[in-house]
Amino acid sequence: MSVVANGLSMGAIYGLIALGLTLIFGIMKIINFAQGALLMLSMMISYWLWKLTGLNPLILILIVGPIMFVVGYLCQRFLVRPVLDSEKNVREPVSVLLLTAALAIVLENLALMIFGADYVMAKTSFSEQTIALGAVTVSAARFYGLIIALVVAGVFWLFLQRTQTGRNIRATGQDRNAAALMGINVPNTFAIAFGLGTALLAVAAVALIPFYYVHPSVGQVFMTKAFIVVVLGGLGSVPGAILGGILIGLIESIGAQYMTATLTVVLVYAVFLMVLFVKPSGMFGSRYDW
Amino acid sequence: MKFDKKLLLLIGLVVILLLVPMMVTRPYFLHVIIMCLLWAYLASSWNIIGGFAGQLSLGHGIYTATGAYVTMMLFNTFGISPWLGLFVGGAAAVLISVLIGFPTFGLRGAYYALATVAISEGIVVIINSTHELGPFSVGGAEGLIVKMVGDSAAALQFSSKIPYYYLILFMLFLVIAVSYWIKTSKLGYCLIALKEDEDAAAAMGINVRNNKLIAAMISAFMTALGGVFYAVLIRYLEPNAIAGGSMSTQMVFLSIVGGSGTILGPVIGGILLSLISEVIRFYLGGQLMGLHLFIYGVIVLLVIMYQPRGIVALLGQIVQRFSGPKTVEGGVSGVKDSGA
Repeated sequence: MSVVANGLSMGAIYGLIALGLTLIFGIMKIINFAQGALLMLSMMISYWLWKLTGLNPLILILIVGPIMFVVGYLCQRFLVRPVLDSEKNVREPVSVLLLTAALAIVLENLALMIFGADYVMAKTSFSEQTIALGAVTVSAARFYGLIIALVVAGVFWLFLQRTQTGRNIRATGQDRNAAALMGINVPNTFAIAFGLGTALLAVAAVALIPFYYVHPSVGQVFMTKAFIVVVLGGLGSVPGAILGGILIGLIESIGAQYMTATLTVVLVYAVFLMVLFVKPSGMFGSRYDW
Repeated sequence: MKFDKKLLLLIGLVVILLLVPMMVTRPYFLHVIIMCLLWAYLASSWNIIGGFAGQLSLGHGIYTATGAYVTMMLFNTFGISPWLGLFVGGAAAVLISVLIGFPTFGLRGAYYALATVAISEGIVVIINSTHELGPFSVGGAEGLIVKMVGDSAAALQFSSKIPYYYLILFMLFLVIAVSYWIKTSKLGYCLIALKEDEDAAAAMGINVRNNKLIAAMISAFMTALGGVFYAVLIRYLEPNAIAGGSMSTQMVFLSIVGGSGTILGPVIGGILLSLISEVIRFYLGGQLMGLHLFIYGVIVLLVIMYQPRGIVALLGQIVQRFSGPKTVEGGVSGVKDSGA
């Protein structure tokens, strides 16, 4: 049972990362290849803030989240928007996608230059603790991670459904021209969506650092997972991202109990390929709405 | 008149390229040139599906790895010459390209891009942890060492770098010829049509999925040959180097920076950018980890932001500015400028 709990917590964090990816894709039709590098950046910032201030990493969300929102907002404003504008009439903006991939290389090597290639982890007061839930014992850090991920995903969903900004974002995703005609500031909405997608990474980063090693290429691991999750759940779907993430997390942790690490990876890809063949648009995605 | 000048320029260029090994005597420099040509070759191979058909493959490392590993496993275990093995490796790569392309090409571009990334990362993990596969030794994370047999043309092993230079030069000409053939054939026009507007292309009676699949298969085969060349040149296959994300993204960047969808863009981008990155590494590499890749990434960022159609478009503009109307009349000064 603790295997399932571990799978759930890791899966919820995958889901959170995939949520940022799927949000940016759903609204702007851009696959953000810098997602992994931005996650790494958030983890590095969280780690150093924790090391310098000694604050509980869970409180750090309130600091790192806004920082990453601004980073994402500025990325969209000064890097993505100029390229997006020059490709206005293209349905699938390929240059923007490459721009984010180049950004990922720049960020990763910047981190390598500044922080070095060391593996670091925030050894917090609860890193070694466990929590007993009835018969199940889980690591405290992972348990908090699960709670944070689910709460944030829920709040985020409510935000998209209930607030005016959320409605603006969804309207822009459905039809940016119609949204502009209704008086929505589309470029600004894009920047907010990008910022939110990045802020979600900050939450995932804070949940991760008490039990996961940080190093400059840590983002790549999560990026690939996030891609699989997004395809599984359906591009642009919020519940799809979370459920897809949990599914992958469970497959990984349960698989690891019964077979070698390689076979587990193969199993994940087998599921991935099967979904591609049987229902390519994923569990919740629609073939046409994007 | 104009045609003659162009032909003369071309012949001159080919002669210079053929004479390079006589002029460059230090093996290290020749190796750098060989690697630049290999990158130009790989970028051109990627360009067939990524540029001509506009299908963003971010996992072409799968095909270099498939070509290299299959060929070298056959050679190490059964002593089958790489000349024969490359067809098996190429066929395996084609098979994988169909496996990825068939489900995703029915959908829009993004699914193909995501699927290629995810599958290539998966293949890296699998190779890294596979030591034996039936009678074959794969080597796992320690990598696969190519069995040495001494100087042998049949095994493609030479102690001198010069044969490798001519081999990769020939391969580069081959991929340019294939690109030229595709671009001027019906397939090429179908690819341009579906790249511009898939729905309109389908409405004109083009079988979108099949055309994409054919382009993907040709691209996979050519890329696998590049992998085989890498294997016989380096004689050591390290999973992350031959299959990893940097191999895959490198091909894309070189092609885009040079000018994707053109015949010569990826060649120019491949040679120029890998030369720059080699020079940066030579002078700055030892000082600060990651610096040369950082500079490399910034260059790519700037090109995408300010010259999205690639270096080839920039060269075209320069040629036009200097010679513009004269080229139309006589073509004399125009050709001279571009050659000088």
